Amino acid sequence: MMAPDMRGAAPQSLVLKAGIVGGLVGVYVVAVGVFAAFAARPVVAQSVSLGQIMLLSIALAVGWSAADPRQGRSRRLAMAAAAGVLAGLVYAGALLVAREAKLQAMFVALSPAALNTGLFGKAGMAALAAAAIIAGLSALAGGLARQMPAPARRTLLAVGVAILIGALLRDLWISFFSNLLGGRWWVSTIYAGNGLSWIGTAVAVAVGLAWQAFRTLGRREAGKQRTSLAGLVLLLAAAILIPYFTNAFVAQVMLLVGLYALMGTGLNIELGLAGLLDLGFVAFFAIGAYVTALLTADSPLAIAQLSFWEALPIATLCAAAGGFVFGLPVLRVRGDYLALATLGLGEIVRLLVVSDMSAPFIGGAQGIVGIPRPELAGAPMVSQLSLYYLTLALTCLVALAGWRLQHSPIGRAWAAAREDEDVAATLGIDLVQSKLRAYVLGAAFAGVAGALFATTLGSIFPQSFKLDVSINVLALLVVGGLGSLPGVFVGSLILIGLPEFLREFGEYRYLFYGFLLILVMRVRPQGLWPDPLQARSS
Amino acid sequence: MAAHTSLKSIATALAVTMFAALPASAETKGPVTDENGVVVVPAGEPLQIGSFLSLTGADAALGIDARRGVEIALEKISGTYKGHPVEIVYEDETCSPEGGQTAATRLASNPELVAVLGPSCSGAGRAGVPILWQHKVPVVGVGPTSPTLTAPTRGPTFDGFVRVSFNDNATGKFAADYAFKTLGAKTAATLHDGSVYGEQVVRTFEAAFKAAGGEIVASEAVGAADTDLRPVLTRIGTKKPALLFAPLYVSTGAYLVRQMGEIASLKDTELLATDPILAPAFLTAAGKAAIGVKVVGIDFRPETLGPAYQTFVETYKTKFGEPPISSFHAYGYDALGLLLAAVDKAAVEKDGTLYIGKKALNDALHATAGYDGLTGKLSCSALGDCASPVYAVWEFTSEQPDSYALGTNPKRVDK
Amino acid sequence: MTPGASPAAGGSGEIPDRPAAGGREHGAGEAGAGIGVGIGAALADWRRRSTWVDMVMLALRVSLLVLVSAGLLLSLAHNEYSAGDWLSFAVFGLTLGSIYALISLGYTMVYGVLRMINFAHGDVFMAGAFGALIVADPLIATGSLLAVLLLIAVGAATSAAIAALVERVAYRPFRHRGTLAPLICAIGVSFVLQYTARGLFGTGSRAYDDIPLLDGVVTLGPLQVPLVQIFVILAALLAMGALHLLVQHTRLGASMRAVAEDRETAALMGINADRVVTLTFLIGGVMAGTAGVLYALVFKQIHAFMGFAIGIKGFAAAVLGGIGNIPGAMVGGFVLGLAESFGPAALLSGFGIPAPYQLKDAIAYGLLVIILIFRPQGIFGERLAVKRM
Repeated sequence: MMAPDMRGAAPQSLVLKAGIVGGLVGVYVVAVGVFAAFAARPVVAQSVSLGQIMLLSIALAVGWSAADPRQGRSRRLAMAAAAGVLAGLVYAGALLVAREAKLQAMFVALSPAALNTGLFGKAGMAALAAAAIIAGLSALAGGLARQMPAPARRTLLAVGVAILIGALLRDLWISFFSNLLGGRWWVSTIYAGNGLSWIGTAVAVAVGLAWQAFRTLGRREAGKQRTSLAGLVLLLAAAILIPYFTNAFVAQVMLLVGLYALMGTGLNIELGLAGLLDLGFVAFFAIGAYVTALLTADSPLAIAQLSFWEALPIATLCAAAGGFVFGLPVLRVRGDYLALATLGLGEIVRLLVVSDMSAPFIGGAQGIVGIPRPELAGAPMVSQLSLYYLTLALTCLVALAGWRLQHSPIGRAWAAAREDEDVAATLGIDLVQSKLRAYVLGAAFAGVAGALFATTLGSIFPQSFKLDVSINVLALLVVGGLGSLPGVFVGSLILIGLPEFLREFGEYRYLFYGFLLILVMRVRPQGLWPDPLQARSS
Repeated sequence: MAAHTSLKSIATALAVTMFAALPASAETKGPVTDENGVVVVPAGEPLQIGSFLSLTGADAALGIDARRGVEIALEKISGTYKGHPVEIVYEDETCSPEGGQTAATRLASNPELVAVLGPSCSGAGRAGVPILWQHKVPVVGVGPTSPTLTAPTRGPTFDGFVRVSFNDNATGKFAADYAFKTLGAKTAATLHDGSVYGEQVVRTFEAAFKAAGGEIVASEAVGAADTDLRPVLTRIGTKKPALLFAPLYVSTGAYLVRQMGEIASLKDTELLATDPILAPAFLTAAGKAAIGVKVVGIDFRPETLGPAYQTFVETYKTKFGEPPISSFHAYGYDALGLLLAAVDKAAVEKDGTLYIGKKALNDALHATAGYDGLTGKLSCSALGDCASPVYAVWEFTSEQPDSYALGTNPKRVDK
Repeated sequence: MTPGASPAAGGSGEIPDRPAAGGREHGAGEAGAGIGVGIGAALADWRRRSTWVDMVMLALRVSLLVLVSAGLLLSLAHNEYSAGDWLSFAVFGLTLGSIYALISLGYTMVYGVLRMINFAHGDVFMAGAFGALIVADPLIATGSLLAVLLLIAVGAATSAAIAALVERVAYRPFRHRGTLAPLICAIGVSFVLQYTARGLFGTGSRAYDDIPLLDGVVTLGPLQVPLVQIFVILAALLAMGALHLLVQHTRLGASMRAVAEDRETAALMGINADRVVTLTFLIGGVMAGTAGVLYALVFKQIHAFMGFAIGIKGFAAAVLGGIGNIPGAMVGGFVLGLAESFGPAALLSGFGIPAPYQLKDAIAYGLLVIILIFRPQGIFGERLAVKRM
């Protein structure tokens, strides 16, 4: 992202800018505490940590952006190295000042231990020199990388990514291969503690090379990019097989991914097809969950003792009815105001649910507990895997319904109203009815997700129905590609699944979530897997 | 990659997955037969114990404090148990049901775990414990205090749960007794923040206070994220209660004590809080207004708990550079000790290999009697309550966070 | 998303139920308007022209009116509160309202020039409070009033810088696209700001040192008002007055108004629209930063996640007053603050609802929803020349 901004700048100012910005980014990761968290995570053989890799990549990026392509070859490299040295000096200088000034009372992450790691265990001039040399060399490498032919660069990138994926998703690989190969004898060969062993690193490098070769070959043979359909089949196969060959945790994460994809499909009808921005989506999710709980739970609050299968349609209908009641008054509100109105409604529902006023009926802060699992052929579905397959089946059903709707007359009416309301109205489309239909259907889908949520969790609490849910669903929809069904799944996988696999980084995963949202929107504002029709029209 | 897999290995994988998906059935390994299955720890291999605690978010202090307690307990046994290194696998339950569910599932997917310590929060326990018990992994609670977890109605999914933390029922009763008898308050108001904990304690307080003969003149609540409590305090002020009972967490609690001084009609009302605010973070947040605030909490004095606790706090200070950051550290310490004592009873050792029957271990946990813990003598009931807490009332004496030390700031005031 | 005039009545942008019904009216208030024609005829005309949806809306209006008046009357009949209590509620409402008002200005101005909601504005407010925290203790130790003003200046400067950054990262790249990308980008920025503040300053709450200068209570008749609240209300009013002068009486203000009116024409007149947009974000940031420091002074506790909920309320205040309308945003802030402090006591306690203050946010959001449904142009009307669909 840095490169385009600097195109017009003079060489000196380019070096200066890249160096200072890079140094400050380094200071930022230390001050926010990301570095300390990453430094504790080994990647290769207990000797290279994720923190070191992060600092090196920053320096690499500095070199990359300072290596002005308009300059001569050697001058370019000199610029890259100079910017790296500058970045190193800024970085180490700021950390040394922080150490002297004892800033930990104000900035909690600047503990003596973190600063010591950040300064390579050195003090004073030695630290400055070390930072300058290390950053200068990596920046030089960054400059070199920019001069490389594209295939070589891509290969290097593939190798790097393979090593990172191999190390960071360690638990996933161990469980996957021990289910596939049996036994765990190979674990201590591939992994050393939390990181890869040297042998493991070699394996990862080989996998990265193979992947790159495979891609190059595949591209030459196919002549064009794989089609959307093939991708879809691949996605579905992965969704069925990966949790099966791994463990309950993967199934649990995929269950969450499926749940959010289900809600995303619902919101996609409202927003992607009908163009209604709804931030109160969580209210219908809550209605679905609470109705299911009240109808099935083994609790004094329950009003019936139905099975999950009997409760599911009722919960869906209740959520749809909720959509109708909310939708009628607010659908005349236009554009952004609709987002605010629905956000307000969603929050009101949450506040009512948690209040003492409603506690005698729906449990208030204590929630509702003792919700049974669904039964299949007389036996309760206890394992996460079976619950995941239930979620997947329902998600596919709902996605299919969404797809059919999109290509029905109703869907075309939505599209017409979305593109131009006035024209649609003159064509005889009843706008209120059309919008209400989208809103009610979206709410019904959220109700299905709510029912699933209640039965898989076994207990529900009002804290689960915050605005964050609506925002997450909106974000995954836009990141995946508005109006695109496969986009919903890709968005859900990246925004819901990925943070769960990076749980070990605690709250920093939300920091990366934020950066990821910005990055995707800046690089691909149309989403990762856009709908071909919508991509053309926008 | 799947293309290279032979049919045979697919069949093996199928069997493995199906087995993992079903509840464990009777199993014999080495010298041990157990109807819930057997965990085998080969000679030299680590004894793995899971733990799910609230490690991030606003309530991170609860989990981190407990984890430090676990770490000190581990250090005391030099990190080994009968020649096996003890390895604790930590997960974050974010003090929420979904967090508890995800963390518990992640732990449950590791078949080598002997047992799990945690959670910190009741909501996480409600969702997480049944998942672990599905895999017959017993859980030792280090912080959840909701009565529902050990109530007669808790159901078979909680059969594998015991806790070293106390039961909120006892907190509410003690606070009501203290308010009515010691402070002589005849009227009281209550305020909770809509949390599982707060609402529960308020309800038991109200019942006990009424039973003792007092009158509840106002029963109010705020949102957990509310910052302006003055309107609700003005409303309480119109009822002129002699006492305000407010079991709040740090942030809301600090808003309360800071703003209570601005309400003229509450000048003669005594404030009684509970132990979530027994933490230096409360002093940072509340400043001078913290001085004089009375808090109901566990009696963590050496006289009550014995000299072991004093030594423990000294170790804590040296190891982590600060005094305990919440009141959960001792639970973490006791939970590991209690668990290993139960492993002692349930495990069979043969040629350096440990065989632990899962049912035997859970039975041993529930049969714990007279275990000498930091928080007193621990004896578990059939429903899993092990603590017999001795309560005390504390009062803050200084607003300096680094002066926080149970005994001086806050000092004990009920006796 | 064509920025053309909609055929709906009065340009309020509502969806026409039936395409033929140009200039259609609805609602009880307007129904009685045709006095000259005769009420009966007007009613018949209204009935002929309205759909079932209009009927439902009318019923909703009437039932809301009945509910609110019943709540008010019942609460008054209970007579739980003294006059002093009611006055206290008013002061609490005004204090909180002045903070809402300052935040809502940023929303209203940005919406005015860009027609976009700045979802990260609440976190810009939070950043101001933390920016001032860095210098708070040494400044407060000097003990002068100037130091307090300096503290506000530091907060304002921090927020302005962050607001400019938000514009640069999340809004400028999407200036000429009508997609949701800037909204999601701003949500991303909001996450980054929250978790950066959390990483820098820790999970717990932080506080400035007590300021002896602002300690103390002013007695006004039956009322005892803490000095700090009066200071906060006055400071907020001062800041808003300065902004009003800036917008109405300077060249910069004139170009801001011109860009809000019509960006293309303004560009033709030689106004650098990009610069004006950046400046609008900057000024909104100054107001939010001021609000952040004032918030820290009156509530004495700040944390990394405090911006989001308050930000939403600030936007509600902007909508309440009529978006794009600067004096409206100020009044909207005060109205919202007063609704929160009076609402539970004056509306809910009459119905005997337990713990009414638990629902004070529900009242604020309810007010927002009702305004959006029945009077989307806000109390004072929008100042958006080109209507957006």
